[in-house]
Amino acid sequence: MKPAADDALDQELMAAVARQDGRAFARLVERHLGWSLRFVERMVGGRHDAEDLVQTAFLRVWQGASRWEPQAKFSTWFYRVLHNLCMDHFRARGAPTAALDEALPDGGPTSEEQVAGAQRGARVRAALASLPERQRAAIVLCYYQERSQVEAAALLGVSEGALESLLARGRAALKKHMREDLH
Amino acid sequence: MDLSRFKACAEAYGADRRRWPAREHALYDRFAGTPEGAASLAEAERTDRFLEGFEVAGPDEALAETISNLPSSRRRGAGAAGGVVRRRFWLPAAAFAASAILGFAIGFAQVRDDGNADLVTQLLLGPESILEIGL
Repeated sequence: MKPAADDALDQELMAAVARQDGRAFARLVERHLGWSLRFVERMVGGRHDAEDLVQTAFLRVWQGASRWEPQAKFSTWFYRVLHNLCMDHFRARGAPTAALDEALPDGGPTSEEQVAGAQRGARVRAALASLPERQRAAIVLCYYQERSQVEAAALLGVSEGALESLLARGRAALKKHMREDLH
Repeated sequence: MDLSRFKACAEAYGADRRRWPAREHALYDRFAGTPEGAASLAEAERTDRFLEGFEVAGPDEALAETISNLPSSRRRGAGAAGGVVRRRFWLPAAAFAASAILGFAIGFAQVRDDGNADLVTQLLLGPESILEIGL
């Protein structure tokens, strides 16, 4: 899912947040929580860690809004905050791990279809978790988050050519993972 | 050479034309219908389908509410932290005052009423000291 496109509204909201406007902050959360949580969960592989990291990121928005200068889109700046938090998380905890129970819905009966879907999801989590961080980030940004090559390259601090190389190597590693999974 | 570039793009960006860089769309259109191009796209599509298996649920209401309320909970947290700091300051201060009063009372109880010694000196130095220095 793409981040909300209304950059002017984001700027207005950030200006209000800088004045400690709690309602503006809540609007900002409403607009950006969905995509940011999906991004971080695919990066770190687990829901609980993702929720903690996204909460930390929004706290930084609240605390740092007065220092924020709208040179870039809010979503681009927020992606960078989230990405840096993920990198800090990897440094502190090591590479992500993916467990099937993370993919299973909490409580209640689960149908065969749900279990199969969860198992499929767990295989992809595991495959993504096995990738080097930058390859994983490139795939998450370009494939799942549908960021443009220009934006994804800027977020990762690489050229577009280097981004293409990260994507190609990441996808090749996933293919290998898929083959091993079948045997 | 164009075909090898097409294959490189399929390996990096997958089978969906929308994920390719805009400058390569013409290349996509040129080779997607050819046997070699279609084979590259079919291979890339398998990886795309694999990736699609990782569905992530949206945030639940509780998380949205918790994050939206961060500013007010921080304010409450700051107040509580201030309270903790104040309690921590008063506890040793009260203990110090209590021990000073108790010490003074014990010292006062030990003062010997010999009529000669100055009361303040006795309280400060103690009755034994007064005897030693011959007051």
